Amino acid sequence: MNTMTLLRARLEKAGDASAPRCAPPWRAPLATFAIGLAACTLLPEHAGLLTRVFIMAMFVLSLDLAVGVAGLATLGHAALFGVGAYAAGIFALKVMPDPLVGLAIGVAAGALLAFASGAFLLRYQGFTFLMLTVAVAQIVLSLAQKARDWTGGDDGLSGFSVSPLLGRFAFDLEGRVAALYALAVLVVAFYMLRRLVDSPFGLAVRGIHENRARMAALGTPVYARLLVLYTVAGAVAGAAGALSAQTTAVVGLDSLSFALSAEALVMLILGGAGRLAGALVGATVFTLLHHTAASINPYHWLSVVGILLMLVVLVPPAKVWPWLRSRLGAKA
Amino acid sequence: MPISRRALASAALVATASFLTVANAQAQTIKVGIVGPFSGPFAHYGTLFKAGAEAYVASQGGKLAGKTVEFIYRDTGGPNPAQTKTLVQELIVKDKVDYLGGFVFTPNAMAVAPLIQQSQTPTVIFNAATSSITEKSEYFVRTSYTLWQVTVPVAQWAAKQGMKKVVTAVTDYGPGIDAEAAFKSEFAKQGGTVVESIRMPLTTTDFGPFVQRIRASGAQAVYAFLPGGPPNLGFVKAYNENGLAKAGIQFLGTAETDEFDLQKFGDAALGLTTAFHYSGAHDSPANKKFVAALKQRDPNAVANYASVGAWDGMYVIHKMIEATGGQRDGAKAIAAARALQWESPRGPVRIDPKTRHIVQNVYLRKVERVGEMLVNKEVQSFGPQADHGLDK
Amino acid sequence: MSTLANILIDGVAYGMVLFVIAVGLSVTLGLMRFVNLSHGAFAMVGGYCAALLTREAQWSFWGAVPVAILATALLGAVLEVLVLRHLYRRKELDQVLFTIGLSFLLIAGTNALVGPQVQLIPLPPVLAGSVDLGFRTLPAQRLLVIGAGLAVAAAAAWTVTRTRFGVWLRAAVDHAGTASALGIPIRTVQCVSFAAGAALAGFGGILGAELMPLEPYYALKYLVLVLVVVAVGGMGSIAGSLAAAVLLGVIETASKYLASDWGNLFFFLAMAALLAWRPNGLLKR
Repeated sequence: MNTMTLLRARLEKAGDASAPRCAPPWRAPLATFAIGLAACTLLPEHAGLLTRVFIMAMFVLSLDLAVGVAGLATLGHAALFGVGAYAAGIFALKVMPDPLVGLAIGVAAGALLAFASGAFLLRYQGFTFLMLTVAVAQIVLSLAQKARDWTGGDDGLSGFSVSPLLGRFAFDLEGRVAALYALAVLVVAFYMLRRLVDSPFGLAVRGIHENRARMAALGTPVYARLLVLYTVAGAVAGAAGALSAQTTAVVGLDSLSFALSAEALVMLILGGAGRLAGALVGATVFTLLHHTAASINPYHWLSVVGILLMLVVLVPPAKVWPWLRSRLGAKA
Repeated sequence: MPISRRALASAALVATASFLTVANAQAQTIKVGIVGPFSGPFAHYGTLFKAGAEAYVASQGGKLAGKTVEFIYRDTGGPNPAQTKTLVQELIVKDKVDYLGGFVFTPNAMAVAPLIQQSQTPTVIFNAATSSITEKSEYFVRTSYTLWQVTVPVAQWAAKQGMKKVVTAVTDYGPGIDAEAAFKSEFAKQGGTVVESIRMPLTTTDFGPFVQRIRASGAQAVYAFLPGGPPNLGFVKAYNENGLAKAGIQFLGTAETDEFDLQKFGDAALGLTTAFHYSGAHDSPANKKFVAALKQRDPNAVANYASVGAWDGMYVIHKMIEATGGQRDGAKAIAAARALQWESPRGPVRIDPKTRHIVQNVYLRKVERVGEMLVNKEVQSFGPQADHGLDK
Repeated sequence: MSTLANILIDGVAYGMVLFVIAVGLSVTLGLMRFVNLSHGAFAMVGGYCAALLTREAQWSFWGAVPVAILATALLGAVLEVLVLRHLYRRKELDQVLFTIGLSFLLIAGTNALVGPQVQLIPLPPVLAGSVDLGFRTLPAQRLLVIGAGLAVAAAAAWTVTRTRFGVWLRAAVDHAGTASALGIPIRTVQCVSFAAGAALAGFGGILGAELMPLEPYYALKYLVLVLVVVAVGGMGSIAGSLAAAVLLGVIETASKYLASDWGNLFFFLAMAALLAWRPNGLLKR
């Protein structure tokens, strides 16, 4: 009897409320696909905005894997997004403009950086780990700034274009093809992550999140599991970055910035960490709100987010739901 | 997750409401999208663009060529190419703008080149200064300046003054590197040497170390380029506080004594030499009219290269509207823009038909005190300069 | 050789500014295990108060600075008592998010009240001038910064080792439960420490206004630097913060002199190396 079966059996017996849901893994991704498709059809003039929403959703999904599932609080996730973006952009510029191959390159770049940095980072925990993720991200940013012959430095990487998807669908000015492309990749990634998180591997990682010492005592190779998970998270983030590069045809240093990492973390917390769907909700709500509010006044937007954050922390959702229930129950 | 579900519901409502608000475009309204920084440390550019553009329309009686002009302002923050591209895509596809204007940072302008080329939207650059921008799309027209344009004359002047050794200190991004290349090439042609080329990161706030390096280089002068706003202020302060003038190192600049920040330097700025295409103190009737119109529109607005860039940019758009009769015809508009020639607040100018860049006088100025205010007094005119960066 | 001297002088000055801002955060983190990411906002508030008092209200610099520091301390104390102490038992992520939200609010508020331009603090003539050291001319303000930093370090060390409050502080850091059982007023210690940390941050904001310009995003922009100093120096260690701040300040300045086109690569490389070598802080084992 190995660790996996032991864990699963114990959880099933205990009927633990935090046991993984038994919903079929294709349900949430399918719902996402339906909503996304409806949005693209009903709001064709906002294809650019929808594409941004899908890309951010994918990025926050990868962050949820690291933060929510594995408990690795990181403020350097943008580095994985950025290398995917730059890799895809440089590939389109110098090698070949095929989008799917570029996407694969972005995935590989993100995974590679995650593996390399994770090998170093995962030896540490807590606040030290957090600060080291910041350091790694800033180092990547400095290197990208220095290598301006490859990345364009502060001017950004531009001038590359992407050839038609699957040879047939050209990326149009309105951005419809880009939006559907991003949606498709998001749904596929969501499904794969859903399967991963519900698998025995995912359970082991959740266990590590809850109690690292106990899992180690059970014989789980903690470091190895976390490294694999971090690499997967890096792959998804790299894919999101590649999508961003291909759909906007420009990559700036802001894709590696600390601000992007922090923003993604805020989106994740607002939506709810640990359950993957929360990442999508948080990213969507935040991006849409940001778009509408920031065009009115960016500083007012900051105060809205600030208040929202403080509220979410002060009034834990876990207490609100029963309160709501009792109010509604009392009325009925 | 109740909070986020609530947030989702209300956000969906807000979002739907705003998206379903249809802007009813009248046939007589010309839409102009102005793209620039309206928040953050460079927010004054956006405010000045707004003041300059709206002052121009007001000075023409509120309408351009008989058509009402509707301005749509979009905030890019800082150098942020991806966001700028998304904003411009929205302006073109959703808001269906007829013309675009603005652009402070080179990367932002570069990023939108494919968009305006594909949609044939004439775009007037009010500020971005790298030479190669106008080559990226036929629909770019520039009413600002380029680094080569203002640097070549100052290199020639420095050589004429007998300077043999100069050190360059520029911000490490497109326009800065342009400035360094321009000065090096022209100064070498004139027989001088650039002893050191210092590049300062865009995010630098503490210029002390760089100023020390300048001092240690043994040069007779420092040629500097920095983006307007806090970096300018920081650099000039560091120059003064570290005693470079006393050490005999002459300051050669371009936009560093920008009228926007000039008063903050106090007496320390007196005597600083710059070469630039516009001074708020330029003595001409056209400039007086511009300054008056600007103050009437926004009493806090300063007459500087940003506001005059917007003013002249709107002049170009005005002529393009006239030429196309208010219809959307990008090719016709650009053809009309190529032939323009007029008296701007900065002096006589024209648009170069080949490069679509503005050809204008470049002046040598020294900072002087006139009454209570510090001004850039024009001491010499270098005559009309084209964009030398494209002659290479 | 003069380059080396330049690097040391400028580096130590920069490091001192970082130290003065970071020491409050380090003590708060070590003492109350409270991750306060609005610490940068305190530095900003202190700087803004001083700027507004000297420029708009025409106060003298020497009068405005203590008042600005006191105002920041007051703000810190009020926030601590009313809001922040309820978060001491919460998870780290909750504290991070709440204080980031607070920072956002303070940024937006600052912009609404004063506007987005950079705020300059007009210095009195004795500080605005330059001091000629022979091989270089140094802005007098830098000497003030180095002196003030050393004074703060000395005062903090003296408070912690020689006063009763210092004894209480150290006891509370080591084990709050036992300290409270022994009759030490833990709440007072926490509140006063927090207020003192905020005051020091405000002082650092004023000192550093030349190096780190005061504008609304200040609260978040330099937060990373401060966190780096705290992480490398070790939470709760004043000497560690000083060592980390000076070391990192010198490295950052050296890279500006010798390799400026690499940005702050060396700063973060040094930080990663130092943290990897001593994860619990430079002077702790």
